[in-house]
Amino acid sequence: MGLVNFLVYLSIMMGIYAILSLSLNLQYGFTGLANFGHVVFFCLGAYISTIIVLVFKMPFILGLLGGMVVAGLFGYIISIPTANLKEDYWAIATLAAAEIVRIFFLNEDWVVGGGPYQGGAFGIGGIPQPLRSLFSAHTYPFFYLVIVLVCLVATYIIINTLTQSAFGRVIKSIREGDNLPQALGKDVKRFRMKVMAVAGSFGGLAGCLWAHYHGFISPNQFLPLETFIIWAMVIVGGKANNKGAILGAVIVMIFYNSTRFLKDYIPIEAVTLASLRMVAIGILIVVAMLFMKEGLIKEKKTLY
Amino acid sequence: MLKVENVHKSFGGILALNGVTFSVEPNSITGLIGPNGSGKSTLFNVISGFYSKDRGEIYFKGKKIEGIEPYRIAMLGVGRTFQISEVPEKMTVLENLLLAPKSQIGEGIFNVFLHPLKIKRENEKLLKDAYEILELVQLYDLRNEYAGNLSGGQKKLLSLGRILMSDPILLLLDEPTAGVNPTLIRDLIVAIKNLRAEKGQTILLVEHNMKVISEICDRVIVLDFGKKIAEGTPEEIQKNEKVLEAYLSGSSKWELLDEDSRGQ
Repeated sequence: MGLVNFLVYLSIMMGIYAILSLSLNLQYGFTGLANFGHVVFFCLGAYISTIIVLVFKMPFILGLLGGMVVAGLFGYIISIPTANLKEDYWAIATLAAAEIVRIFFLNEDWVVGGGPYQGGAFGIGGIPQPLRSLFSAHTYPFFYLVIVLVCLVATYIIINTLTQSAFGRVIKSIREGDNLPQALGKDVKRFRMKVMAVAGSFGGLAGCLWAHYHGFISPNQFLPLETFIIWAMVIVGGKANNKGAILGAVIVMIFYNSTRFLKDYIPIEAVTLASLRMVAIGILIVVAMLFMKEGLIKEKKTLY
Repeated sequence: MLKVENVHKSFGGILALNGVTFSVEPNSITGLIGPNGSGKSTLFNVISGFYSKDRGEIYFKGKKIEGIEPYRIAMLGVGRTFQISEVPEKMTVLENLLLAPKSQIGEGIFNVFLHPLKIKRENEKLLKDAYEILELVQLYDLRNEYAGNLSGGQKKLLSLGRILMSDPILLLLDEPTAGVNPTLIRDLIVAIKNLRAEKGQTILLVEHNMKVISEICDRVIVLDFGKKIAEGTPEEIQKNEKVLEAYLSGSSKWELLDEDSRGQ
């Protein structure tokens, strides 16, 4: 049973991270927006949904929608002051924006309302799981996996439809510079903002799913490191390819979780092994960059 | 159609445009020539809003265009190409053309999901237009090739096709025939003339090829050191002493004299 449980857990994580990776791929792969603070959407989705469901006692679905809306809005808003920044400066600005939100939740423990909830650095526990009472402890993870997969499929369909539309053509042209789309009458800033809003809301969706699965969130789960794990997924899987983004999430999650099995074979302490996970992902990125620049699945040519 | 009045633009100590004044009549083809560095491309960039001007006024259809973003100027109906072709490498030739039409329904996020049928019809119409233009610029066989794999001349053709697709009122063409082979240039000349005749479009083009200039332009404006030094019909310009002098004093003297020279 241990292995089955682990595989279900792993699949849920893969599903959640695949949503994050699809959403980063929309920004970086298709629009050329190097978002180094992607984790902020994950964080906002998790916190907002937790606040709505735990503190305001609203149903899970409202928490989920609330998290998506707030994260999407945040994406839309941070792209206003940063609209004129060049790619590298934009990356720095997004990194900073993500840290600001994380540190806000770290310090402002009133946000999740004192009383029974600790908040702040202690994190928030006891986040309810949707429809938990209908299932036994053994079957619940399977049900949650279904929820995650439904969300993943919806995300894939929406993002894939968008990237294949006229909207997709415009953002792909923005990826290679502002001049041409501007000369063709496309409001480049607005398109960037729209991309950030869509990507933000799906990042938020992943955050909600994560919070309600684990039942506990704290600011140090949303460190910049998380962003780079998602980056690894896009780089390895293949940028500007939505199937690639999902494949990347699957592979990186396998690597990420592989070290826990190594302890049976290699005489290294568990703590050290945990840190080695990041080394494994680092190597994966380097190998991908060197030998498959476009990732495992290349960008698909759009044919008519 | 287009009126440029006393426009100045400097980059640091260099006066790229030093009080340029001219106007372009509706439904005309106007050539803009001058030695390298005389300010032709800068002028295009100022008109299309990519550079802000230091002084002067620009009117399009009687309306002042000032301090507005390039995309808004494009929306007003000013289409431009770039001297160094701006071609998204990872988009196919056909995608490049489909990108061009302004305000497509399918560009709205919600429309994509709410109006799939309208968008389907829109796409079919755009595809039909695109195939026609592909035939015109002779890129039909390459329609599913990544634009990044085209040669320099083919990229020029693609830029021209794309701007035709966007259907502007005024076309600013920056060296549309540079790097294009002579036979095709002849076809393009015919195509540009037809365009004016059929659609009544107005064209302002930078060109180094005097053959092209004398065949299609009604009027020619000559720039040197950011100033207009002459204006007239192609015949007048070719006899104008000031113009000959400007070209002879520069390193590019053969551009004007040798009809088949290709400029840059």
